[in-house]
Amino acid sequence: MTSLFRPKKVRFTVVSLIFCSCHNAFADWKDTFQYHGFISQNFVLTSENNFYGDSKDGSLDFTEAGFNVSLRPLSRLGLAAQVLYRRAGELEDEEVRLDYGVLDFTAFETAEIRAGLRLGRVKNPLGLYNETRDVAFTRPSIFLPQSIYFDRTRNFALSSDGGQAYGEYESPIGAFSLRMNVGVPTVDKSLEASMLGRNRPGEFNGNLSYLGQLLYEYQSGLIRLAFTAASARAGYDSGQNDFFSNGDVRFQPYVFSAQYNGERLSLTGEYALRNTRLKHFGPLLPNTAATGESYYVQGTYRLTDEIEMMVRYDVLYQDINDRYGEKYEQRTGRPGSSRFAKDWTVGLRWDITPNWMARAEYHRVHGTGWLADTENPDPQKLDPDWDLFALELSFRF
Amino acid sequence: MSQRSWRDGTPVVVFVLPDSSPIHKEFCKKHLGMFAHQLRQTWDRKVFSGTGQAPETVSTVEEMRTLISKTPGAIGYLPDAEIDRSVRSITIREVTQ
Repeated sequence: MTSLFRPKKVRFTVVSLIFCSCHNAFADWKDTFQYHGFISQNFVLTSENNFYGDSKDGSLDFTEAGFNVSLRPLSRLGLAAQVLYRRAGELEDEEVRLDYGVLDFTAFETAEIRAGLRLGRVKNPLGLYNETRDVAFTRPSIFLPQSIYFDRTRNFALSSDGGQAYGEYESPIGAFSLRMNVGVPTVDKSLEASMLGRNRPGEFNGNLSYLGQLLYEYQSGLIRLAFTAASARAGYDSGQNDFFSNGDVRFQPYVFSAQYNGERLSLTGEYALRNTRLKHFGPLLPNTAATGESYYVQGTYRLTDEIEMMVRYDVLYQDINDRYGEKYEQRTGRPGSSRFAKDWTVGLRWDITPNWMARAEYHRVHGTGWLADTENPDPQKLDPDWDLFALELSFRF
Repeated sequence: MSQRSWRDGTPVVVFVLPDSSPIHKEFCKKHLGMFAHQLRQTWDRKVFSGTGQAPETVSTVEEMRTLISKTPGAIGYLPDAEIDRSVRSITIREVTQ
């Protein structure tokens, strides 16, 4: 208990840690039941191109809501599940899904070390934000940096049906955490659009995939460093009158993350290399392998407890051997500007109360690399220089 | 800070004052060595990813004292002047290994 919280040297001037004096009664497991939730409504307006609905006319087709429950029936067993509702323009179908549902076994626990296993549908700790990407309160902005957290194929890397082994060690020089996910990714129709151009007669199914993240936190998160590597796979089962044969997709991102959290200033940077390989789709889609590159640098400043400003520069290249899509344009006739994106973002967050939060943000984007074909069916009509403005209102409990 | 149960198996129940409370801010900074917004981020990440539970927020120091004295395995913090016989004050030592 003495090391539960680990400060340097403590003098008890004003505040003292206190502890229940009744040791005889055992806590009722029902007391550990918790529920939480959130709902966010967003407004998106773009000068050109569509993102989250018909945004050129102003779109309200972006809603997120979640509800979760958790319980610790035994000291070594935890249960947690969250249901997520999402409406995202034409990026994906409106849906209610099980976001996660886990049985968490603590195999070993001391004050410094913890190890265990989570079984069920587990979220993938990819980079710093993926696990809670749909919870506005945990994001730095309305839209996460799209170079790494693309909303276009979000579900492919979102969670795994399988398990996660985890180990945590709070050492004298900082906290280390290692997590390994093994399971099947939850894929949906948006993968067809992204890999095969549009919705096809066949269907993608997730194959066994892996993800590992090593995270180091100095002084309870003053500095956070992480490395994530993953290999996500899906197989395509060709349908009737299908142009494509049974193929498979492998997506291997490597993400380096660094964050500094000061009292007022936070700085975050992430860099990712992403290998995508498509195989066996038949003559219309020859085997391809490309490495994409993504990075962003972001600063947030808390003016007061309620008001926070954000600025970010986010860069995406779909292919490091053809960064500006010249070869791609020659080969396909589609604009090269759809192969990269450079996004300057400024934003403002207002925590009106602990439960209500409002945001506004503006993006100036060059390139259309993270826009979806489903929302912009004619690639020739994409405008490479465009602006995006968004508003968000979010409630949590 | 992520410990879930005490050595005897009793679940750890953590009580905190609201983020805006000066006592909470001081406790975070002095005793946890972190800022209140960091603590909030850490707990939000756990709560909304299925990897942990949130502390119980109480609105006043009186409520904090009452709930801690009534709940087995509970832990929280109070200004020194507010500590009475219903709760035990504990000293935080730096652990050397």
